[in-house]
Amino acid sequence: MSLQLVFDALSLGGIYAIAALGIALIFGVMNLVNFAHGQFIACSVFALILPSADAVATMGLGALPAPLLIAAILAFGAGLAVAAEALVFRPLRNASPVALMVASFALGILLQNILLVAYGGRPKAVSLWPQLGSPVQVLSAQVPLLQLLVIGAVALILAGLALMLKRARVGLEMRAAAEDFDMARMLGVRANGVISGAFALSGALAAVVALVLVTQTGVADVRMGGQIMLVAFIATVVGGMGSLAGAVAAGLALGAASALLQAFLPVEARPFRDAFLYGLVILVLLFRPQGLFASVGAKPRV
Amino acid sequence: MKPAICVLALLALSAPAQAKDITIGFAIAKSGWMEAYDTPAATAAKIRIDEINAAGGLLGRKIAVVEADTRTDRAGAAKAGLDLLDQGAQMMIVSCDYDFGAPAALVAEGEAMISFFLCAEDVKAGIQGVGPLSFSSSVLAPVQGATMAEWAHARREARAAYVLEDTFIEYNKGICTGFEWMFPQLEGAAIVGRDSFKNDDASIAAQITRIKSLGDEPDVIMLCSVMPGAAAAVRQIRAAGIDSLILNGSAVDGSYWLDATPGLSDFVLPVQGSIHGDDPRAEVEAFNRAYEAKTGARPASQYAYPGYVLIDLWAKAVERAGTVEGAAVTAELEKMSDEPTAFGPRSFSSELHHQNTALMQIVEISDGKPARIDEWRISQPVPLDVLMGK
Repeated sequence: MSLQLVFDALSLGGIYAIAALGIALIFGVMNLVNFAHGQFIACSVFALILPSADAVATMGLGALPAPLLIAAILAFGAGLAVAAEALVFRPLRNASPVALMVASFALGILLQNILLVAYGGRPKAVSLWPQLGSPVQVLSAQVPLLQLLVIGAVALILAGLALMLKRARVGLEMRAAAEDFDMARMLGVRANGVISGAFALSGALAAVVALVLVTQTGVADVRMGGQIMLVAFIATVVGGMGSLAGAVAAGLALGAASALLQAFLPVEARPFRDAFLYGLVILVLLFRPQGLFASVGAKPRV
Repeated sequence: MKPAICVLALLALSAPAQAKDITIGFAIAKSGWMEAYDTPAATAAKIRIDEINAAGGLLGRKIAVVEADTRTDRAGAAKAGLDLLDQGAQMMIVSCDYDFGAPAALVAEGEAMISFFLCAEDVKAGIQGVGPLSFSSSVLAPVQGATMAEWAHARREARAAYVLEDTFIEYNKGICTGFEWMFPQLEGAAIVGRDSFKNDDASIAAQITRIKSLGDEPDVIMLCSVMPGAAAAVRQIRAAGIDSLILNGSAVDGSYWLDATPGLSDFVLPVQGSIHGDDPRAEVEAFNRAYEAKTGARPASQYAYPGYVLIDLWAKAVERAGTVEGAAVTAELEKMSDEPTAFGPRSFSSELHHQNTALMQIVEISDGKPARIDEWRISQPVPLDVLMGK
């Protein structure tokens, strides 16, 4: 039971961590809370199937062999995010953060409506890699293969990203931009390159979440991504706006707390699981209003 | 004299909406995510309207249709209702769901006009929520849950049940309420566990761990959920190696979601009529074909049917009352007791404008293929206090 719970908690937390990272990356470089991130996830899911309003879905990209499929969906997510940056957020670069946030809301609604027009409002079944659901015995726990893969992929992505941020030039530039964007520009960091890079990474992470979600649930729905986006946004706030490590830690913690609450709350209280979860969030913010791992740039300097 | 009558008849045929037509207003979602649920039932309603018009109309007058889009929005629904009043609607048909239909239904109620929900299955979509002139011809969610309980007990020897409720909408709660009312009354039957989840939960691993930690796998799992969460839950339950018979409400009817769990078996749901071409009643299949002729495709789920039934019942009540006036038609509707329709008998009373019992067709999914296998009518109607969630 307990080991099983650890896997349940880690796999849910892993999904939330990846989504939170996608939001924190963009917030870091341009102070934008991208509320369209949930729709990036939904669009990446729908990219698997051909556009049609028919009740039964026909696989599009989803029919490709796994390695090609993963590459194609990651590229799709990255491309979508880069296009969104170039068309929507770049012209607004000097606008206030509030205007940017509203623009991201509008973009999200636009994307959702495009999906509705192209695919209709009914959820669709997408059976991607159903064999990944089969349980594997790990010590005393029976864990679906997908959970193990998610936990492994999250660890891999986080390690890769950490390495890139520490070692690669673009990573260095991103960290510099997150610290103090104006200063970084003055020191020769190309703003467009860094911001496009952050959007591409963020979009690819949205695509990762999309792949995990669709493999787990087997459905595509225009409203999917919304709930994950909300949790991920809360994770970035709890983690400390702009802190990548904080977003990941808080995402993991929220997922784990959600799984633990589901397991240990009495049956009458379980429908209110999220109320307890967000109660915990409020408690954390009362004690650390700047978040658990606030970045240096987020602290006001007088 | 004769040519004059011919000219008059021609005029009557060619004029689209004459003042003496009976006008039905459709305040439904023609855009947004509800559109996928409203359009089939509205299409079915129009099929019945066409049939009535072809047979000479209602009270000797043609039925005309006016429409307004709610855009899947509550405020939009109220506006659509007002818009239809301006267009001369004398009876209002509103969105499937209580939340999205009620604003327009309340507009109709305010004008002493009858409103029918296209397919609402919540008791509030009637006297208890909107008011005394509001109806739904669909089958209440608790009846669906109770039907599953009694059928599984009688036909599949279900004795130990596990209840898994999706807290997304009232409909889900209704299914579980009906099941939890009926199942423990049956001989030797007990509910061995309960849990809840949210429709958009990314994973229900913790809920599955709880089911697996029961000593014995339950005979049945009553899953009270709707798409897309229901398909996701079924996929995860089966992937975890739990083979219990899974029951659900009518909301998961249709084969469009079955690819989510390839080769799904032992999944049962109650429906008002079968879309799969195997309903024993010829009228049901005749309707399926009429629907295909009008839209190019067979109904994707049973939720087209209540649209057809509601026009059928309302038109009968109008004929009997001799008027479309709200109070008089309501009085006639409330006299209906086991009134025959193509999809089984329907009743209304001065307490309830819904079905608290109904003959339901049982559909089972085996090897990913749905088929009608049985029919069932619960042995006693679901009492009003259970319907009200008391």
